[in-house]
Amino acid sequence: MSVTDLFDPRGIAVVGASETSGKIGYEAMQNAVEFDGPVYPVNPSASGTIFGREFVSSVTEIDGEVDLALCCVPAPIVPDVIEDCGKAGIGGAVVFAGGFGEAGPDGEELEERLIEAASEGDVALLGPNTSGFLVPEEHLFATFATDVDTIPAGNVAVVAQSGGLAYAIAFQAENEGVGVSAMVGLGNRANVGFEEAIEYFDGDAKTDSIVLHVEGTDDGRGLLETCRRVETPVVAYNVGEQDVGDFAESHTGALTGEYELYEAGFAQYGVPTVRTSTELLDAGTALASSPRPDGPNVGVVTAQAGPGIAITDRLKAAGANLPSLTEETQDIVEEILPGITFSANPVDTGRPMPEFGDVVAAVARDDNIDIVLVYELYEGGLGYPTDTLAAVVDEVQKPIVFASGGPEAVINEELAELEALGIPTFTAPERGADAVSALVQYAKRNAGPDAAVAGEEVSVDD
Amino acid sequence: MTDALEAARDEQRSALTEAEAKELLASRGLSVPDGETVTSSEEAVEAAERIGYPVVVKVASPAVQHKSEWGSGVGVNVNLTTPDEVRTAAVDIFEAADREGIDAAVFVEEAADLEAGLEVIVGGTRDPSFGPTVLVGLGGITVEVLQDTSHRIAPISTAEAVAMTRELEASPLFDGYRGSPAVDREAVAEAIVTVGEVLDANEEIREIEINPLLAESDRAVALDALVSLDD
Repeated sequence: MSVTDLFDPRGIAVVGASETSGKIGYEAMQNAVEFDGPVYPVNPSASGTIFGREFVSSVTEIDGEVDLALCCVPAPIVPDVIEDCGKAGIGGAVVFAGGFGEAGPDGEELEERLIEAASEGDVALLGPNTSGFLVPEEHLFATFATDVDTIPAGNVAVVAQSGGLAYAIAFQAENEGVGVSAMVGLGNRANVGFEEAIEYFDGDAKTDSIVLHVEGTDDGRGLLETCRRVETPVVAYNVGEQDVGDFAESHTGALTGEYELYEAGFAQYGVPTVRTSTELLDAGTALASSPRPDGPNVGVVTAQAGPGIAITDRLKAAGANLPSLTEETQDIVEEILPGITFSANPVDTGRPMPEFGDVVAAVARDDNIDIVLVYELYEGGLGYPTDTLAAVVDEVQKPIVFASGGPEAVINEELAELEALGIPTFTAPERGADAVSALVQYAKRNAGPDAAVAGEEVSVDD
Repeated sequence: MTDALEAARDEQRSALTEAEAKELLASRGLSVPDGETVTSSEEAVEAAERIGYPVVVKVASPAVQHKSEWGSGVGVNVNLTTPDEVRTAAVDIFEAADREGIDAAVFVEEAADLEAGLEVIVGGTRDPSFGPTVLVGLGGITVEVLQDTSHRIAPISTAEAVAMTRELEASPLFDGYRGSPAVDREAVAEAIVTVGEVLDANEEIREIEINPLLAESDRAVALDALVSLDD
């Protein structure tokens, strides 16, 4: 089975392609024709053309290179379609229809037949019961959802158990001008699950981080082991905290819920975990665009006390370490800004100023600091210290995360310049802090054997 | 595989007796109270004399899972200080077993001083999705009310197990609080490691629960232990 056929096809067949607007077979066809490769509408009871492509009666009749079939047909005939795909040498398929394993004994039986057809025909199958996937850079929209071509290309791969949540994250990314390398809704995971998807996107040149939405799988250990094995950073959003058992049999059984095991397991296997889909996107963006942190020690530089305090509070609550800066750094900071408000860590410059970038640079160069978090409200006459940061980010090879506030129309362009440098930006203090918390978790949880114990934190001088 | 596990499997039992469970854990280096399984009230007294008072006398039978609720409350007798008390407790157990028509022995055990340590729960279960897993929490009702537990996918190292104890909200209690002595955190960690290893090495074990594990200043003693097997 080759997941590459599924996620990186040469051509697409839309099985059940329809001329009726609003039908899945129409919407999927409309999305598919955006693809820069051959697209074949397949429907035995249709003739003529749709979106300028001629109908074919069966996937076995296609004269051309097709690796991916989008199955827009009702559940009962899906297994036959997949069997045909196998005969036609089509190695990937998306099954949108529900009514399989999630729908009682009959559905389970149908899913078994489907899996059998897929194994026999060597077809990598996404779904059933999924909304499909997107690879924006390739204009590959293997879905029936509308307006998906608005979602920009980026370097974060979204792999969600629920197709609905996958779209929630992808459209939030669009709203915020962030891109995704891919968005995948796994659905019932008939034979492409988390492990296959994570391994594929680990090897994908467009992907620099993988973010997961997990509701529960039947091989949690396999998922964790895959996350540990891959090179690409993975972040997880695990849902289900309120599923608690009772104490009828034993405490051990009642207290060991799937949620607890995922949370503990992700920590053990080097995967940062988050509490919301927004945090998931932010953590994925931060990990994808900045260098990997060498350790968990954060240096905070703020131009305003209030946001700096909120950030520090949130970072500490998340278990981050804010070590004292070296004497050398403190001397440099005090030379730049004599009588500075507070020059240990966080460094508070009191207000934006021309030398703000130099202060950030001094903290970024500090040997005690692994990750830098900057907060600065936008000030018209000054702008952001983009040039200074451009030089520093190359020199120090540490994550520098930038949070700010200001009029959207004004700051968006300047923030985009910072992002182009590999400096993730956020427009709320807490979102910056949460993204940094994920970097801290990543550093702590990947610091080698027994990472959670070893730490390698610099001690804090209170 | 230990003899007790083999015997239990042959008899298609769903759990080891407490004595068997403790023997299994003791064979892996865990501390357990000095104890003896006997089949008559006179043997119970002899065992108590050898062990030294006070002792605990409990029902020992594969047919009894919840010892303290069994036989109108005669299943567990704590803090017995004389031969007469031991004899009476043993007779009560044998009579109750006769009434219920089950095979039962009596387990005589050195009594523990709960004041001398911190009651901890250490457990492990074979999860269908994750395989062997372990947990630690504070014992007694705290674990039910506060659900202050830490979990790991097993097997794990001692350092990882120490980190689990540090994750507990109740972690400062291990270091001594208001004059109570600090307890042996490492020994608790070793118990967690052992539970994980035993689960990992014995596919037929579904769940292990040591509750309480009494963490003392220089060791941790398994005061009660349950080893459940696959049905």
